[in-house]
Amino acid sequence: MSTTPVAVDAVDAEAVHAARRLTLSYLWASTAIFLASGLLGMLLRFSQAGVPGHVGDSFWYATLTAHGLGAFVGWGAFAVMGFAWWVLASVGLPPRPFGVAMARLTWWLMVLGVAGVIVTTLLMGFGASWVFLYPLPFSSAGQWSDTAAGLFSASVLLVGLAIVTWCVGILHTIVGPGLHATSPRFLNRLGVGLGFGYLLPRRFGTNGRPVPYAVIPLTVIAIDMIIATLPLAGLLIFSVFKAFHPSLGIDPLLAKNILWFFGHPVVYLLLFPAVAVFYHLVPRYAGRRLVAGNVIAVAWVLAVVTNVIIWAHHVYLDYPEGSFQGALNTAHQPLTFIIVIPSLLSLYSLSFTIFRSHWQWGAAQTALFLALVSWFLAGAQGVINATIAFQETVHNTLWIVGHFHHMAIMNIGLVIIAATYAYLPELIGKPLYSEALGKWHIWLTFVGVTGNSFLWLWQGMEGAPRRFARLPEEYAGTLTYLGLPFVVLAGLAQVLFVINLVQTVRGRGLVPAAERRPRSSVAAEGAFMLIAIGLAATTFFIGYFLGRAGDDKTSGTAVPTQADDPGKTVFADAGCGSCHTFAAAGSSGSVGPNLDTLQLDATRVSVAVTAGLGAMPSFKGRLSDRQIADVAAFVSGSTR
Amino acid sequence: MVGIVLAIVLASSTRSRKEAHADELAEHEKTWLWIVVAILVALFLASIWFTPYSRSAGSDKQVLHVAARQFAWDIRPATLRAGVPVEIRLTSLDVNHAFGVYDPAGKLVFQVQVMPERTQKAVKTFDRPGTYKVLCLEFCGFLHHGMVGSFEVRR
Repeated sequence: MSTTPVAVDAVDAEAVHAARRLTLSYLWASTAIFLASGLLGMLLRFSQAGVPGHVGDSFWYATLTAHGLGAFVGWGAFAVMGFAWWVLASVGLPPRPFGVAMARLTWWLMVLGVAGVIVTTLLMGFGASWVFLYPLPFSSAGQWSDTAAGLFSASVLLVGLAIVTWCVGILHTIVGPGLHATSPRFLNRLGVGLGFGYLLPRRFGTNGRPVPYAVIPLTVIAIDMIIATLPLAGLLIFSVFKAFHPSLGIDPLLAKNILWFFGHPVVYLLLFPAVAVFYHLVPRYAGRRLVAGNVIAVAWVLAVVTNVIIWAHHVYLDYPEGSFQGALNTAHQPLTFIIVIPSLLSLYSLSFTIFRSHWQWGAAQTALFLALVSWFLAGAQGVINATIAFQETVHNTLWIVGHFHHMAIMNIGLVIIAATYAYLPELIGKPLYSEALGKWHIWLTFVGVTGNSFLWLWQGMEGAPRRFARLPEEYAGTLTYLGLPFVVLAGLAQVLFVINLVQTVRGRGLVPAAERRPRSSVAAEGAFMLIAIGLAATTFFIGYFLGRAGDDKTSGTAVPTQADDPGKTVFADAGCGSCHTFAAAGSSGSVGPNLDTLQLDATRVSVAVTAGLGAMPSFKGRLSDRQIADVAAFVSGSTR
Repeated sequence: MVGIVLAIVLASSTRSRKEAHADELAEHEKTWLWIVVAILVALFLASIWFTPYSRSAGSDKQVLHVAARQFAWDIRPATLRAGVPVEIRLTSLDVNHAFGVYDPAGKLVFQVQVMPERTQKAVKTFDRPGTYKVLCLEFCGFLHHGMVGSFEVRR
């Protein structure tokens, strides 16, 4: 029965103990990465708003790359991959020795891969973003070396291999004796894992013990991620070779498709195991079977196929002449719509399993419930993204950033938090330190992240671009600043999380987990939080307008005007203004970047002028070192 | 909003003493499923006509040539006529970029990817005269945010 915490009738205690240790090792590593990548995210958000100032542009983009991969794979995926071992063990499928070996290998590959990503981005300056669209890694405009690109690719390759070894280990575990499948054949047992027994009970027999629902999404994702990751591994191996042989090349459109052939399913590497946790915990807390579970079991058949044939919704705006991309994209729109169905059926079943049940509002239950709400909301945004016609105005805007932070943190992240509060006591044999502290953590995180995500959605609808170290002036105002208190709130809430985990591990929990009887009203908690948001927003507005009033008084005196600046003469004589807009020189060229927006430092200007940059020619030889230093001082001094 | 209301209803329902019947709930599921499928089909049928692929600008067209490179736009000619379909032909000289066009009021009107080694054709008509701002909407390197261009639309 899927609702018992640890299957009593299951095999040896030793295998369950192995699963316990594995899950804990994944939990600690992924939680550490969560805290680190969360801090990087806060740095990005504050720097983009210019509070208290901007970090260097190259560093911002390198941090963006580290944050993206770190948070998405190093936290989200890694955490749910760990809980998968415990969910399987809890439903009577603990890993056998080969599965344990694969799980350990996965842990090392993942940790090494994430460490490599951190080193190559933050220390070596690689900043091509987590999608590293070819040929950008090898066309860095002088910001990072081909070696850094090669080492970064090798690090991501380790992460990719971690995903494959995890899939192999999971599949090996699922087809184990605890499945009760009557057939000894591997493929038949895999079919049982996919839930085919609910459709064809005779063909995929299980001796009258239907496969636990939580097993199905894990089987689906383990099959799909092997298929999705192998082409990416090929692309990454190519990138490693290219670092040493720059003459190698690959079709950029093909590279883009390979990236998204992986990039779409990897989203479900987070979602599907999170769904397995839902299927496992929601019936447990509701005290009854999953409503209409047999229907969702059948719907997963749709997911296993469509998951790997809908990647083109990430490249809807690529339809170059002489390619099939337009036709492929058009076909992928209805296919993407189909994947809504398993999600929706799951939402229905889970919601109505809770509906009028014996649900108690403890920490884990609160997190699961809020995760369901967010899944519904963020899923609705996903339907917009799946529609080609809408993509022309939402793609690569902050709308997308709002959508996936909402989905990744408020659905999957909350499931991870729920699973941490629910499983940690079982894993270490000590009660949770404090349910109340856990609920504070969950509600504050919910308010902070949801608030920040909705602001991003709003900015995106106004056309604010994504992946900009500095937002264009028209988007750098109120909404950007308004997000900051929410980010701080979400960040501070994690302090409560850490305290709760540390105290739990130290055995400071007072009430045994089984006896807890939380008594509180979810409506009161919600109302309290709405008041808290209102107060935060009011404080912000007062501060913002006071700050603006202060700015108005000082503006106009900040720009030093020096008529005989030698750099200004160089700027005019060398013709910089014919390509660059620069207010201090009165120029309005539009070929190159606007220097007022960029706010470059002197070193960067002198490097660009001396060596050339992208389309910009080198001025070495045309200008003396002295002149270059002068113009660099002029450009940097007049904008800062 | 709908989601929040549903959430509150669902949350408060767990305080109810009467337990819901699982079989009954399973029956209702089919109805809800069909409603959602109908919404998705309707959205698909309503939106697919706005898919921007394989459009023709007709015989009276204007042609706008766009070349992108790190970190600048080369847009020719600099001026277009309002109300006449424009065939925009885009390519990149180095990495992936995206041509994001903001109208004189600052609204993002459309975007299209600009790839190296390929030519992309987009067809649009600009009715509103004024200066259209162009931002790069595919991350292209450390000065991505400084890659700003523009073109004029006149009556």
